[in-house]
Amino acid sequence: MYRRWLWPGFAFPGVLWLIVLFAVPFYAVIAVAFGTVDPVLLQADPIWNPLNWNAGWILEVLGRLAPGGTFFGVALRTIAYVAIALALSLLIGYPVAYYIARHAGRMKSILLVLIILPLWISYLMRMLAWVNLLASDGYVNRFLTFTHVLSQPRDWLGGQASTVILALVYGYIPYLILPLFAALDRIDQSHLEAARDLGASPWSTFRTVTLPLSKAGILGGAVLITLPMFGDYYTPDIVSGAPRTSMIGNQIDFYFHYGGQPTIGAAITVILAAFLTVLMAYYMWTIHRASREVRTV
Amino acid sequence: MTAVAEARRGELSALYRVRGWLRNPWARPRFLVLVTWSYVLWSLVPVLIAVQFSFNATRSRTEWAGFSARWYWGDPVDSVWHDPTLRHAAIQSLKLAGADVLIATPIGVLLAIGLARWTGWGSRPSNFLMLFPLVTPEIVMGVSLLLIFTQVFTFIGTGTIAQILGHVTFSISYVVVIVRGRLFSIGRQYEEAAADLGASPTVALTRVLLPLLTPAIVASAAVVFAISIDDFVISQWLSSGGATDTVPIRIYSATRAAPLPSTNAIATVMMLFTLLSLVLAFLAWRVFTRGERRARAGQTKDLAVFEL
Amino acid sequence: MTLHPKERPDGITRRDFLLRTAGAATVVSGAGSILAACASETTVESPTGTGGEAVGPLGLPLARPDKRITIPFWEDPIASGLEPETGGTFTVFNYPDYLYKKLLRDFGKKYGVDTDYTSFQNISSGIQRLASGAVTPDVMEMTPDNLERAVAAKLIKPLNLDYIPNLQNNVWPGLASPFYDVDSHYTVPYTVYATGIFWRTDEIKEDIASMPQPWDIFWQAGDYKGKVGLLSEERETIGMALLRKGILDINTEDPKLIDQGVADLKQLYDICNIKVDDVQYQAVPENRSWLHQAWSGDPIAAYIYYPLVPKGTPPTALGFWKADKGKVPIQNDCWSVCSTTKKPVLSHLWLNYLLDNGIAYSNMVNFNGYQPPLNEISPEKLLADNIVPEHLTNAVLTNDDLGSDSLQYGGLTARGQQLWQDGYSDFTAAG
Repeated sequence: MYRRWLWPGFAFPGVLWLIVLFAVPFYAVIAVAFGTVDPVLLQADPIWNPLNWNAGWILEVLGRLAPGGTFFGVALRTIAYVAIALALSLLIGYPVAYYIARHAGRMKSILLVLIILPLWISYLMRMLAWVNLLASDGYVNRFLTFTHVLSQPRDWLGGQASTVILALVYGYIPYLILPLFAALDRIDQSHLEAARDLGASPWSTFRTVTLPLSKAGILGGAVLITLPMFGDYYTPDIVSGAPRTSMIGNQIDFYFHYGGQPTIGAAITVILAAFLTVLMAYYMWTIHRASREVRTV
Repeated sequence: MTAVAEARRGELSALYRVRGWLRNPWARPRFLVLVTWSYVLWSLVPVLIAVQFSFNATRSRTEWAGFSARWYWGDPVDSVWHDPTLRHAAIQSLKLAGADVLIATPIGVLLAIGLARWTGWGSRPSNFLMLFPLVTPEIVMGVSLLLIFTQVFTFIGTGTIAQILGHVTFSISYVVVIVRGRLFSIGRQYEEAAADLGASPTVALTRVLLPLLTPAIVASAAVVFAISIDDFVISQWLSSGGATDTVPIRIYSATRAAPLPSTNAIATVMMLFTLLSLVLAFLAWRVFTRGERRARAGQTKDLAVFEL
Repeated sequence: MTLHPKERPDGITRRDFLLRTAGAATVVSGAGSILAACASETTVESPTGTGGEAVGPLGLPLARPDKRITIPFWEDPIASGLEPETGGTFTVFNYPDYLYKKLLRDFGKKYGVDTDYTSFQNISSGIQRLASGAVTPDVMEMTPDNLERAVAAKLIKPLNLDYIPNLQNNVWPGLASPFYDVDSHYTVPYTVYATGIFWRTDEIKEDIASMPQPWDIFWQAGDYKGKVGLLSEERETIGMALLRKGILDINTEDPKLIDQGVADLKQLYDICNIKVDDVQYQAVPENRSWLHQAWSGDPIAAYIYYPLVPKGTPPTALGFWKADKGKVPIQNDCWSVCSTTKKPVLSHLWLNYLLDNGIAYSNMVNFNGYQPPLNEISPEKLLADNIVPEHLTNAVLTNDDLGSDSLQYGGLTARGQQLWQDGYSDFTAAG
């Protein structure tokens, strides 16, 4: 019934937009990172032709990321923060998603709304809320000293790694719970009943049936929150501000915004993106596989 | 348990259930309930407290001194209404969000329909391209957009236009994902029925498909509005100075320095805008899919929006 | 390069900018140098003049307080005695929130023009936008470090000082003909500020001002972990480490000195878990920071705008120290007339207007918080008007603070700028 060119025609504006304002800018970052630096303005001089690329700046930044370099510590620290934040998020998020998916009953819709709600509250407002609570005379300190958990108020905002990690968990965990929930919700009850019928205890049913079936959801959600976390620079800025808790994103921010050397900033970005591409590729592949199931509309 | 035993248990009184609970109060569901509700509280209570303190009578964000609306409109210097920087930030945020919705929604809807039905050789890479912004870290997108507007499209530079273009770029994918879910659930049946009844392709599209898509279009518009209002990284990187700062940027700089309750207030105001748009979208969705829900059992199809 | 405090992408509120001071400098390095784009080039050539010293884009040596430079006219200034233009729009190009807009509106009313205020995020992007023609303002706020570059690109017009009598009448002699622009060929000064230490006297036990080397307090701040901060500026942080050790060449490009400065700064992680930000003007009065490197406008802004926490703390809780002349870095901003102006006479009159005692005072007290280098706006006057309390009068600068032996963070060569930036990056990465 429809002309064959209709669907590509519909897709054309969107695809064109994404090419011009998404794909090309990506290439611009690479062109700048593999470019040279204009001596007068110390501004970036991108090199667009791959044959002429100057690998000097990429090598320079790789050298700094290597052990002994100035970025080695912050790179390790970023990976550590993200790994710990991810672990904590899974530890908290999985039981929550599991409960809502499988046991919530009448409360399911309400709980769904409640866990989706944080996604629509500005990230910064949520961080602001914690900055207020973690102040020296804020509610957290008052509560903890009142209950004698702490003998005196703790300086949560004085450059603590634990505060940064907790802030990351708080900020990103809603993005993990939702895909986890979706995956767990999709598990067919009949699989579990079959396992129980065959004599498995609740725990081993969980271990041998539920957990493996939710793996795709775990991995998808994990990738979904670690990718942005690696580029996070505002969370350490807001809840800490000390160099000792800075992340690699702060270096990118510095080299771009503080009128510095955008070429170095671009080089760090390219290397970070390459590192994340491995994770991204996995995610894309999972999505592609899932989308093949829904392609037949 | 046999069917008989199950039935008998169902008939038994609450006493049996209490005994069961007492025998094993730590059975997993109880623990999960605790964890879940603790999480919900931990997740939402801090924000509620922040909203509460936006009504604080004094400058403090940690000591409650009584209810007052001074940070919203009362205080002649620092309130959201009177402080020009906060007001301009709010206007800028709404401007960007409005423009984003108006541009991204049509493009995204067309892209969703196109990608869902296109089977030619370009469809896979296009699909791939569409999904990419969803997984790209914002700082990478911010860097790339800043560079493209300062190195290549220098006639745009940084500023409001750049911010709008950046917002649309990451919003399109959200529209596609939501609309595609809806497309999946309605299928081709209605258009084919229309064709059987003699409708031309144009009529089938405009008077059959589009109305059916309306809930998804409205929902995606609301989603785009919400994520645009809350966007920080892209807005910050493409900002050209004070006049193009949005509310998240102001909250960021205030939080790092020493926020006043007016910061809480402007954040609350923006949050209300967001929630309002989502509620409207949800209501619109419910209204438009009334008939379908009556004809269909269960809620799982509504969750199709989460299908990626 | 030093960054203007306003060059923060996070959008400073009107109050925030109070600290901001000029100093945004993009490296000035030889336009005539050739950057060999060989395959692995990562260093930038720095051209040298006949004496082997670093030169700026006009072939003049980089300006320093003891190396005064006179920038030649690239065209003749406008003739004297012309009538100011009327009608149309008069556009000011400046940092956001750095000028009391009422003054601009009053100026427009006086001369019968509409007024507009366009802002740039940092001075180098401002200059780039000006150069690309994206903006066509009449006047632009300028920093000494970027002056040569702007003149080399013919972006600003030479001045006819007959229209700006306030320059000689009101401005400090030291800045009426500054070292970076002898005889004020292109600029007039705007605000001036120095770098020092800002702290809470009710929290810090030590008497910082009477220490043999007050900057040492940061290295002895073990009791104040998490409450100590430095300015988030590459020049100010490393420069402070140099000054602490008695090295007065704060424009050095010696990698060994810079590295040593960075190494010294790194000791602060363990000593006091040092923070790096530019929020001291608010954080110190609000008791979130007890000891912070600061600009001289900060304690004044704190005193004027931010009530002390906890409530009821007397203003003497705010303490400020700056080194004596010759050991304290002093910076200033300026104004210049853009080549794109269609109203050159009016632009000159604007520069004169801003140097009027009443106008400049209003700008500072009602909005800016930054001190204009005018003779009449003295520490005594500010004290008498209760803009500044007795114990903070050392935060007000005078002409005596200037001179050929004063310190200023000046422009560097490209190589030098790289060294400072990379050193600062090393410090903030805490690797």
